[in-house]
Amino acid sequence: MNEQRTVRDALYEQPDAGTRKKITLVTVVSLFAIAVFMLYILKLFKDNGQFDEKYWSFFMRLTTWKFIGEGLLGTVEASLLAGVLALLIGFVFMVMRISFYKPLNMAGTALTEFTRGVPTLLFIYFFFLYVPKMGINLPSIWRVSLPVAISASGMVAEVLRSGVNAVPKGQREAALSIGMRETMVFTKIIFPQAIRYVIPALVSDLVIVVKDTTFSYIVNFPDLMQNAKVLISNYDALLSVYLMAAVIYVLINYLLNKVSVTLAKRGGMVPVVGR
Amino acid sequence: MNSEVNVTEKDSDKTIVELKHVEKYYGELHALKDINLQVKKGEVVVLIGPSGSGKSTLCRTINRLESINSGEILIEGKKLPEGGAELAGLRAEIGMVFQSFNLFAHKSILDNVCMGPVDVLHRPKEEVKKEAMELLKRVGVDSQAQKMPAQLSGGQQQRAAIARSLAMHPKVMLFDEPTSALDPEMIQEVLDVMIELANEGMTMIVVTHEMNFARRVANRVVFMADGAIVEENTPEEFFTAPKSERAKEFLESINRH
Ligand SMILES: Nc1ncnc2c1ncn2[C@@H]1O[C@H](COP(=O)(O)OP(=O)(O)OP(=O)(O)O)[C@@H](O)[C@H]1O
Ligand SMILES: [Mg+2]
Repeated sequence: MNEQRTVRDALYEQPDAGTRKKITLVTVVSLFAIAVFMLYILKLFKDNGQFDEKYWSFFMRLTTWKFIGEGLLGTVEASLLAGVLALLIGFVFMVMRISFYKPLNMAGTALTEFTRGVPTLLFIYFFFLYVPKMGINLPSIWRVSLPVAISASGMVAEVLRSGVNAVPKGQREAALSIGMRETMVFTKIIFPQAIRYVIPALVSDLVIVVKDTTFSYIVNFPDLMQNAKVLISNYDALLSVYLMAAVIYVLINYLLNKVSVTLAKRGGMVPVVGR
Repeated sequence: MNSEVNVTEKDSDKTIVELKHVEKYYGELHALKDINLQVKKGEVVVLIGPSGSGKSTLCRTINRLESINSGEILIEGKKLPEGGAELAGLRAEIGMVFQSFNLFAHKSILDNVCMGPVDVLHRPKEEVKKEAMELLKRVGVDSQAQKMPAQLSGGQQQRAAIARSLAMHPKVMLFDEPTSALDPEMIQEVLDVMIELANEGMTMIVVTHEMNFARRVANRVVFMADGAIVEENTPEEFFTAPKSERAKEFLESINRH
C-alpha cells in the first residue's frame, strides 16, 4: 500500500481488498459497540420502571390517538403554511439578491444572511412577545409559522439562487436571441429549470421547517409536540410519549424525502417515456 | 434543390448588416480591432480564423449579446439599439445558432420552436404549432417533436435549434461554429440544412472551419486574426491562393490535421 494517502483519496477512491476488509471490521466493531450502548440504556429504563404498563397502556385508547392525530394535523398545517411562506419570502430575497440594481442586491444579501444567522427561537419570541405589543394580534398558527418561515427564508433563498446559477448561461443567450426580455427569460426559461435542480434541497429545508414547528408549544398552538406535552402531564409518561412523537416526526420526514425523490424524477428535464 | 444557384442573380443591393470601425475590449484585451464589414441581402459570409481571433465575439456583437466600446453596428441601415424593448425586438429578427445548441432543456422540441412566435410575437398558438411542425419536418426532426432536447442526438438538437431560429422569420442568421460540437457523422446532416437555407436566399454569417461548406455556398470568406479582419476573399481564391501571409499559415496549420 502506498503512503501519502490524503483524506480525499480515502473518500473518493474505490477501496482495494485490504481496505475493504478493514472497513468491514470497523463497521462490525462499531455496530457492536452501539448495540451494547443501546442495551445499557434500555436496562436503565427498565430499572427505572419505564416499561411498566401504566406508561404504555393509554396508547391502547382511541381518544389518545385522536388527540395525537389532532396534534399531527396541527403540525402538518403549521408546516405547510410555514413552507409556503418560506418559499415566497425566500424567492423575494433571491430575486433581490440577483438583481442588477445595487441597493436591492445589497438588501437581498443582508436579509438572506440575517435570517440565516438568527436562531428560530428569537424570531418566535419576537412574534410572541413583541408583535402583540404593537397591537397586532396574529392567530396562533401564524405566530409559529411566520417566524419559522422567516428563519428558513434565507436558507431557501440560497438554495434557489444556487439553482439559478446552475442553469447554463447558453439558455439565457438563446432566449435573448429569440427576442425575450430579461423578465421573460427569467420567468419562462431560467427559473423553471432552476427549481427542478433544487427540489431535493428544498425538501431538506422543509424537513427543517417541520422540526422548527415544534416551537409551537411556546405560542400554545396545538401541534404534535404541544399535544405530546399534554399527554405527558396527564399520564406522567415522559419517555413513552416522546418516543412515540419522535417516531412520528421521523415518519413525516421520511415521507417528505420519498416525495422529493419522486418529484425530482418527474421534474427532470427528460420525461418518463410514455407519459 | 439546385445547389449551383448563381449568387449574382439575387437582389443583393440591400445591406442587412453593417459594422463600421467596431472596437471591443475585454478589460485589457483588444478583442475586436477596427472591424468593417458589410453583408448584403442573401449573402453568405463565412468567418474563419485561429482560435481566439475574435470570430465568436464579432458574431455576438451583431445581436448585442456582447456590447461594443466604439464604432457602429447597423441592421438594415438602423443603429443597433442599446437595450430595452427595442433591442429585444431587433434580436427577434436576428437568428442565432450556437455551438452547444442551447435548446431550452425543460421544453419539448415543439415547444422550443413555438416559444418565440407565441410568447414574443404573440401569434396564435394553433397557427404557430402548424408552422413549427412544418419547420421541424424541413430540418428532418418532426418525428422527435414531442421529445425533450436531452433525448435527441447532437445533430438532431442542432437542426431543431435551426428550426427554432427560423420560426422567427429572421432577416439574417448568425451561426457560431454550429458543427464543432458534433460527431463527424452528424456534421453533414446539419450542413445540409444550412446549405439548403443558403440556397433559398437566407442571409447568413457563419463561423466555421468546414471548407466544403464555405466552398459550396459562401459568397465571401472573411479571415480574422488577433481581433482584426486580415483578408476578405472569394472562397475559391481564399482556399487555393490566399493573399495574406497569416491566412497562408493558418490554412497550412489546419491542412496538417
Ligand atoms: N467574456 C469574455 N471575457 C473575457 N475575454 C473574453 C471573453 N470572451 C472572449 N474573450 C477573449 O476574447 C478573444 C476572442 O475570443 P473569441 O471567443 O471571439 O474567439 P474565437 O475566434 O471565437 O475563438 P474560438 O475559435 O476558440 O471559438 C479571446 O482571446 C478570448 O479569450
Ligand atoms: Mg468561438
